[in-house]
Amino acid sequence: MRDFAFIGFLLVLFWFALRRPFLFVLSYVYVDTLQPQRLSYLLFNKVPVSLICFGLAFASWLFVGDKSETKMSPRQWMMTALLCYCWMTTQSADFPTEAALKWGWVWKSLIFAVFLPFTLNTRLRMEALAMFMIVSASSIIIVGGIKTLVTGGGYGSLNLMVTNNSGIYESSTISMVAIAIIPIIMFFLKHGTIFPLPDWRVKLFCYALIFACILIPIGTQARTGLICAAVIFVMSLRHAKRPFLFLSLALVLGLVSLPLLPKSFTARMGTINNYQADSSASTRIAVWKWTWAFAQDHPFGGGFEAYRQNKIHYEAKNTTETGSSVDVQQTTIVDAGRAFHSSYFEMLGEQGYPGFLLWITIHLLGLWRMEKVYRRFKMRAPKDGLWISDLASALQKAHVCYLIGSLFVGMAFQSFVYMLVGIQIAVDVYASRILDQESWRPMRGGTAKVEQWNKPKRGLTPQPE
Amino acid sequence: MIDTLSLALTHGLLLLIAWRLFSRDDLDDETGNAGKPKPKPRRWGR
Repeated sequence: MRDFAFIGFLLVLFWFALRRPFLFVLSYVYVDTLQPQRLSYLLFNKVPVSLICFGLAFASWLFVGDKSETKMSPRQWMMTALLCYCWMTTQSADFPTEAALKWGWVWKSLIFAVFLPFTLNTRLRMEALAMFMIVSASSIIIVGGIKTLVTGGGYGSLNLMVTNNSGIYESSTISMVAIAIIPIIMFFLKHGTIFPLPDWRVKLFCYALIFACILIPIGTQARTGLICAAVIFVMSLRHAKRPFLFLSLALVLGLVSLPLLPKSFTARMGTINNYQADSSASTRIAVWKWTWAFAQDHPFGGGFEAYRQNKIHYEAKNTTETGSSVDVQQTTIVDAGRAFHSSYFEMLGEQGYPGFLLWITIHLLGLWRMEKVYRRFKMRAPKDGLWISDLASALQKAHVCYLIGSLFVGMAFQSFVYMLVGIQIAVDVYASRILDQESWRPMRGGTAKVEQWNKPKRGLTPQPE
Repeated sequence: MIDTLSLALTHGLLLLIAWRLFSRDDLDDETGNAGKPKPKPRRWGR
């Protein structure tokens, strides 16, 4: 039954897309984010639906899309270079079969990120893409949120509709994504045009979704989620009109909600400080040390899945308090083939220094560009481009959240994040186009002529706020 | 039950978004010329 519903949904989407070809791009975004193949039982998981959607999206852009202002930005070139470099390391990978499997989805993620900005040439397209990403991800987030409310969740036990919790369904990754999209949902509450504002139904859905997003780190008990939430909170202080009031309200809300949190959640969050007693955290540090040493011997990386060759051992301290005495037990734990547990070390181990430098430059450049766009447009009137500043700021917050979450989770090629990078590039190009049009003045001609030349062109038409 | 409810809600919303985009001309062109027939190119001298 669910299979037929998914197929019917996609067919309706394709039917819409025949009139509005951009919807093919959105259908790929939906398939890549939610991965409905993994939620189906019979029919859907046999069809390469992701490849079909990408093919349709690319073909529609190639044949009917507006390519008049198609230009590769520096970050698109960098992602292309990273794609080529990853292909090279896959050819000489230490584990060729496993590396080829990972390469099978990494290339799609990178190619789509390079392609995406070409299609996002209007405000509505950027908004639609971000909304499709969020609503697709919210299928998982709402399930997780309701189950957390009902059962309280649990580490590794919160059922997010799939048995194999890889990709976006992995607990730390979905926690990071859930927290990262909060600023973008806030953006829709202020500037959304797909659903005209103010509308109480839009507000209700957005606030309920934000609540579900906050519940995800509690339900999955992923510590990454808590750290990401703290980062978003601190970054939000920067834009708050009354930061002290905001801080006080958050503190009161935090204190009130503390007794309502599951005990297992508070116990697990407590291990952030006491990392030596926690095997998960100690394993990470041991793997990172191994990766650092591996990179010294293999500066060009060991290819995808290089972690499989690691052999680590570490001392775990277990402290037990009995009355006034504290008993410390030290045990040596030996382990092998442990994952990187950090995107930074994942890049360093798999792609070596060149791959790591390319990857980090792509992300840091994104933060810097969004900061520039934010500052350039923040003083504008609501009808004169303030939305650009707010969208840049929301994307920047989401990106910082990813970079902080990446410290503890291996998600260097998470496609959801590369789509955010694609929107960032599109916002940057759009903002530059507006500034170019505003700064252009004809050398000759009277005032009337100047006004005529300064007529709104593409991207300058005031939009409903 | 929760899974189906959530999937139904979000997929319904996605269709609603697609429907709203379907009727928006500024999806493809912000100049306001979308949907208007392009003027026929005139031949030289006429």
